[in-house]
Amino acid sequence: MAGGPPKALPSTGPHSLRDMPHPLAGSSSEEAVGGDSTPSPDLLMARSFGDKDLILPNGGTPAGTSSPASSSSLLNRLQLDDDIDGETRDLFVVVDDPKKHVCTMETYITYRITTKSTRVEFDLPEYSVRRRYQDFDWLRSKLEESQPTHLIPPLPEKFVVKGVVDRFSEEFVETRRKALDKFLKRITDHPVLSFNEHFNIFLTAKDLNIYKKQGIALLTRMGESVKHVTGGYKLRTRPLEFAAIGDYLDTFALKLGTIDRIAQRIIKEEIEYLVELREYGPVYSTWSALEGELAEPLEGVSACIGNCSTALEELTDDMTEDFLPVLREYILYSDSMKSVLKKRDQVQAEYEAKLEAVALRKEDRPKVPADVEKCQDRMECFNADLKADMERWQNNKRQDFRQLLMGMADKNIQYYEKCLMAWESIIPLLQEKQEAK
Amino acid sequence: MEQATPDPERQLQPAPLEPLGRSDAGLGVTVDEEAERAREEGSGGDTMTHNNFWLKKIEISVSEAEKRTGRNAMNMQETYTAYLIETRSVEHTDGQSVLTDSLWRRYSEFELLRNYLLVYYPHIVVPPLPEKRAEFVWHKLSADNMDPDFVERRRIGLENFLLRIASHPILCRDKIFYLFLTQEGNWKETVNETGFQLKADSRLKALNATFRVKNPDKRFTDLKHYSDELQSVISHLLRVRARVADRLYGVYKVHGNYGRVFSEWSAIEKEMGDGLQSAGHHMDVYASSIDDILEDEEHYADQLKEYLFYAEALRAVCRKHELMQYDLEIAAQDLASKKQQCEELATGTVRTFSLKGMTTKLFGQETPEQREARIKVLEEQINEGEQQLKSKNLEGREFVKNAWADIERFKEQKNRDLKEALISYAVMQISMCKKLSGLHLVWTNSYLCFSAL
Repeated sequence: MAGGPPKALPSTGPHSLRDMPHPLAGSSSEEAVGGDSTPSPDLLMARSFGDKDLILPNGGTPAGTSSPASSSSLLNRLQLDDDIDGETRDLFVVVDDPKKHVCTMETYITYRITTKSTRVEFDLPEYSVRRRYQDFDWLRSKLEESQPTHLIPPLPEKFVVKGVVDRFSEEFVETRRKALDKFLKRITDHPVLSFNEHFNIFLTAKDLNIYKKQGIALLTRMGESVKHVTGGYKLRTRPLEFAAIGDYLDTFALKLGTIDRIAQRIIKEEIEYLVELREYGPVYSTWSALEGELAEPLEGVSACIGNCSTALEELTDDMTEDFLPVLREYILYSDSMKSVLKKRDQVQAEYEAKLEAVALRKEDRPKVPADVEKCQDRMECFNADLKADMERWQNNKRQDFRQLLMGMADKNIQYYEKCLMAWESIIPLLQEKQEAK
Repeated sequence: MEQATPDPERQLQPAPLEPLGRSDAGLGVTVDEEAERAREEGSGGDTMTHNNFWLKKIEISVSEAEKRTGRNAMNMQETYTAYLIETRSVEHTDGQSVLTDSLWRRYSEFELLRNYLLVYYPHIVVPPLPEKRAEFVWHKLSADNMDPDFVERRRIGLENFLLRIASHPILCRDKIFYLFLTQEGNWKETVNETGFQLKADSRLKALNATFRVKNPDKRFTDLKHYSDELQSVISHLLRVRARVADRLYGVYKVHGNYGRVFSEWSAIEKEMGDGLQSAGHHMDVYASSIDDILEDEEHYADQLKEYLFYAEALRAVCRKHELMQYDLEIAAQDLASKKQQCEELATGTVRTFSLKGMTTKLFGQETPEQREARIKVLEEQINEGEQQLKSKNLEGREFVKNAWADIERFKEQKNRDLKEALISYAVMQISMCKKLSGLHLVWTNSYLCFSAL
């Protein structure tokens, strides 16, 4: 979602943040073709019905875009508005360039992590390191440990069912890379997590294993504090707002699970449909071989169906690679968030129990003992952090799902356009020689 | 070859031909209208020169289908469908049409008509009937003959059958066909009185002919081969198409499941709620759009089926040629053998085997008188045989000439019709893609509007 180095990034469209004119800038930039504030025809009109609500402050098409205006590129411009928000970015992280390493004991994949930052916490302006999945896993557990009051983004699933998925296949590696990139970007976007020491080390250390072995305890004050919360206390009632969050997450995860199952079923049906299509097209070719005047038209239809089949295959792949992983990621997210809620409950429970104990003891009133104060402090910090993170999560979730759903709709539109083009191109072929007899 | 003798009062001018083609051109593609008109007028034009004493144009339609119950030949109650055939004559001057005849026929009567035409016009590629039973079904379509969709498609097919006959330069003049359209009662008796069943070639004979014809016309052999291949490829095509339709149906219907879950999800969301609700709604619209799509495709399948059955009619003409050729060859063989026998008797040399010859050898020579008698009989037979051979030869050549003419006509018709079928199929696909792409676009826009920026 954020920008990156001048190289093309898959998730932000053909141009990075730095190359695009700032949406709030005036039309002085060369790229703002048709300098007034009406959107350029190709970007909007070709696709939308001229909906005035969708006018962007800055017109013009990103230079060099070869694909027709699509709703997802429209989406990316809109997201820019959400992201910028007045603040300037000072940390950019990208995950790319997967490479396979074959060693005697094992074979594994590493990914290149490129970091650019002007923050003082970073000694150098740019870093490039290689990390493997278990490094990400390490980072995540360290974050959970050190920042227990915050929502840590999920990682893609660790284990894959052997024999079903080839964990070295291009599609799998690419899906995983995207998820890992998302993971780091979410941390980068977080005002607290992005400053975490472990995160810094992850991005910069030449050899992460040294740090892992040293087991450097880099807990924050909060982390330290929450770590010592005893789990023995039971919470009587969860406060309304957190209960609401818990209920929401339960239903949310349930609905996503259903959508995931439906999507899988659709993919399965589409694949079976594809199998039949792949047999259907060639029969026209066989027929064409028998005919004279009809030979070309029939051959044309055969090729056309072939093109539609290929387009469908691409659509199904997109669904598998782009749609399903995001659904699953949010289900994992909900699960980890519910654990954080439970931890919060524990903190509150301890506080309430200690408070009650104090209330029962006749002495020490009205002075509240230091450790009860500490508990209250802990609880209030937790609640505040969690509420802030929830709001951030809701915003991100809205954006992510908008992008996801619009992306899928867009892919479907592209599929239909490909089929449309194929059929339209053979109409002249079918019509020719009608008069010449 | 026998043809119905032209009867000026009963002849019909070919009806404007619209076989299974859609008359509505509202699908956004401009098929060359000039060519279409030229073609329609062309087929009429040819027969205009043939029968230029006709003043009126005829329009035929099978306008209704009705379920009926009655008693069959074994006095058991049965349910069947009857079809209303309406004939209108069109005034040249103002184009107004007047209903001249209207009667009900059932499928078996159409079959009777066709069987009659097959016997009396063996050199013509006789238009086929729509299928008797629903074949190439995919799961949604029922194989039940009483199913309203099947009945409707059959109605169209029967109308098409009649239009094909009416637009055929030779078949349109047939009296039995005329009576089929105009004489409700007694028609069956009239047909049977022609005794056409007796004239029909026995099936066995027709089959045998394939293996023993020495010199068939190569064109017919090639054509028979072609018709076999055509049948095979169109059957295959229809089978796979049915499976494709089945699978596509499945894809759309599963999308229908999204509707409810998106709705339920929208209930727990604040800002996203409306967008998700709209998404669910659009998924439902998408899922329900498959019914119309597949119904249109059935129409295409019917057009292909017609030519699948036409292939059979084509093969029948080729078989008739083979049969005639076979008859001819047998007759020639027979004649040659008799001539040989005659010669041997006259010269006394025995080359050919004959029972008389054998018995003569065993039981002694025959008398010269006996020999003379036999030679005389043979000479008579040879004479007869030569006459028959001559006429068979003539018949054969006439048949080949006339059949080939109709085959050429058929080829042109086939190429035209199938090209049009492919065009309308492509147009259908284009329309579907536009509709569905538009649906997704509407959804996208509404979602973006709903999700507050």
